[in-house]
Amino acid sequence: MKKTNYWKILITGLLKENPVFVLILGTCPTLAMSNSVTSAVGMGLAATAVLICSNAVISLLRKVIPDAVRIPCYIVVIAGFVTLVEMFIHAYLPELYKSLGVFLALITVNCIILGRAEMFAGKNTVGKSILDGIGMGLGFTLALFLMAVVREVLGAGTFAGIEIPFMIDHKIEFLVKAPGGLMVYGLLIAFVNVITKGKAIKKKEFNCAGCPSAGVCNGGCKANEVKEGE
Amino acid sequence: MKYIKSVIALTAICAAISLLLALTNSITAPIIEKNASAAANEALLVVYPDGGDFTQIDLTGKELPATVTDAYSASNGGYVIKLLTSGYGANMVLMCGIDGAGTVTGATCLSSSETLGYEKTYGDTLKGKTTADIDAVETISGATMTTSGYKNAVKDALNATIILGGGSVDIRSEEEILNDNLSEALPQAEGKFVSWFMAESLENVTAVYEAENGAGYVLVSGEEFIAVDKSGAVLSEVADDVKATMEANAQLIINSSLTEVDISGYSDMPSQVKKVYKTASGNYVFELGANGFGINGDHYYNPSGKQIEIKASATKDGKIIAVLTTAQYESENIGDACAKESFYSQFNGKTEADYSDIEAISGATITTNGYKTAISKVFEAVKILEGVA
Repeated sequence: MKKTNYWKILITGLLKENPVFVLILGTCPTLAMSNSVTSAVGMGLAATAVLICSNAVISLLRKVIPDAVRIPCYIVVIAGFVTLVEMFIHAYLPELYKSLGVFLALITVNCIILGRAEMFAGKNTVGKSILDGIGMGLGFTLALFLMAVVREVLGAGTFAGIEIPFMIDHKIEFLVKAPGGLMVYGLLIAFVNVITKGKAIKKKEFNCAGCPSAGVCNGGCKANEVKEGE
Repeated sequence: MKYIKSVIALTAICAAISLLLALTNSITAPIIEKNASAAANEALLVVYPDGGDFTQIDLTGKELPATVTDAYSASNGGYVIKLLTSGYGANMVLMCGIDGAGTVTGATCLSSSETLGYEKTYGDTLKGKTTADIDAVETISGATMTTSGYKNAVKDALNATIILGGGSVDIRSEEEILNDNLSEALPQAEGKFVSWFMAESLENVTAVYEAENGAGYVLVSGEEFIAVDKSGAVLSEVADDVKATMEANAQLIINSSLTEVDISGYSDMPSQVKKVYKTASGNYVFELGANGFGINGDHYYNPSGKQIEIKASATKDGKIIAVLTTAQYESENIGDACAKESFYSQFNGKTEADYSDIEAISGATITTNGYKTAISKVFEAVKILEGVA
C-alpha cells in the first residue's frame, strides 16, 4: 500500500479540487454570501468548522453506520454540528449571526459537507478525514473570500466594511447583486481553469467509483465518457 | 435483524447529537438571552441616554392612560414608556423617555402607517417638555392628525410616569370629561346625552346637548356648560345678561321644528342636495350626498360606490351654522377622517366668500374635494330657495 501523503490531502481542497471553483459545489451560499468579505469569511469558517467535525464523526462511525441509513445518519450529524455552530455564533458573534441569516442554518444542506461525508469521510480514516475537512473548508473559505474581494471592492467600494478611497466613488453596483455574483463566479472558474490548464481533476476521477449515485445508476449516465475541459 | 441494526444506529446517533445540542444550549442560551436584553436596553437608551439599566414594570392592575402599553423604569429614577396610539392611520407605536423630574428626554416612533413621515422627526420637538408646557408645542399643519396624536400620546406618557411615581392625574378621555361636565350641569339627565344638531344660529353657543330622558338641554358657551330645563328656563347660575341670551337660545332650540321643503319643483337644485327642511326661524337644514372616494375612487381600490351622507344647516343669508357627517363609506384610516369632528367643524360659520380656506385632508384629496363641493352647494341651494339666484 502506497504511503499516504497527508500534505496532499490537505492542499487538494485548496486548488486542485477546490469545492467551489472545481467541484462546483455549494453554489448557493457562495453566491449569497460573497457580496461582503466579512460574511464570506464568517460563512467559510462556519462551514469549515462543521465540515471538520462532521468529517471526523462520520469517519469515526463509518463502520458502525449501516449502509441503508447512512444518508440520514450523515444529515443528523451534519445538522447537529450546524446547530451547534449556530448557537455559538449566536452567543458570541451576534453581528455575524445577523449577517449570515438563514444561510447559517442552510449549511446543513450545503452539498460540500454532505458530498465530502459521502465521498471521503465515509471511506477514509479519522485523521485523513479531518485533513480533508480542513482542506475543503479552507478551499471553500478561500473561494468565498476571493469572490467577496472582487465583488465588495469593485461593487461596494469597501473592504470588510472599510471604505476605500477612489473605489467608493466608482462603484459597479451590479457586482453586489445576484447577476454580478454569477458573472464573477464564472470568470473565477475560467481563471482557475486557465491556471490549472483544465486539468484540475483528472479524467479518471470522474468515473462511477467517485459518484454518489453509482449504486442506483449502474453506469447508465456514461460518466466515463465525460471529458472535462473540452 | 438488518433493519433493527439501522434503527438502533440512527436512534443512537440522534440521541447523542441531541445530548450534545442540549449541552451546548445550556452554555449558549443564557448568553444569547443576555445579548437580546442588552439589545433591548440599547433601544431604550435611544430615548433616555442617561437611563442606565432598565427593568420592565408590571402594569397589571395599574390605571394608566389607554395608550400606554409597556413601561420600563430606569436605574436613575426615570422611565421609558412604550405607547400605542393612532395618528392619521392606526397603530402608531412610540417610545418616550422621561426623567425623574418629569421632563421628556426623547421620543421616537418605532412603527407607524402614517403617510407623510412627520412622525419620524416630531419627537425631537417634544424633547425637554414637561406636563406644564407640552400643550404649547405646535402641531405641524398638514400633518395635524399625526402630530397631535403623537403629542397626546407623549402627554399620556408624562401622566403615566406621575401615576407610576405614586401621584394621581386626570386620565379621563375627552368623551368622559365632556360627559362629566354635562352631568354636572344637568344631573337630571342621569348622564345620558345626545348631541343636538345645530339647526338654529345660536348666540355664543358652540354646541348643544339634549338629555335623552327629555330633562332639558346643556348649552356649551366657551368653557361654560349652561343647563336649561325643557321649558327653556336656565338652571345654571350665570350672570343676568348671559341668562337672557341663553334663554333666547333655549327658546330657539325648543321651538325648532323642521318642515320638509319639496324640492322637486326646483329644476336647478344641485344634485348633491337630497332633502331640505326649513326651521321655524327660517333657517335651512340640508341632507347632502357627497361624491367622495366611494364614488370617484380608482376602481383598483374597490371604492364602496356610496356617497358620504352629510347634514348641514345654514341661515337664510347663506351662512353655514353647522355640518355633521351622518354616514360615510370611505377608505378606512384615510377618507374616513371626514367623519371626525375636527374635519367637519371647519365648515361652521363659513360663507361663500371665505369658503375656500378649508383645509383638505392630505392623502384623502378625493374625499375632501367631494365633501367641499357638496357643502359649497349649500350656498347655491339657499339662494335658489330664497329666490335670489
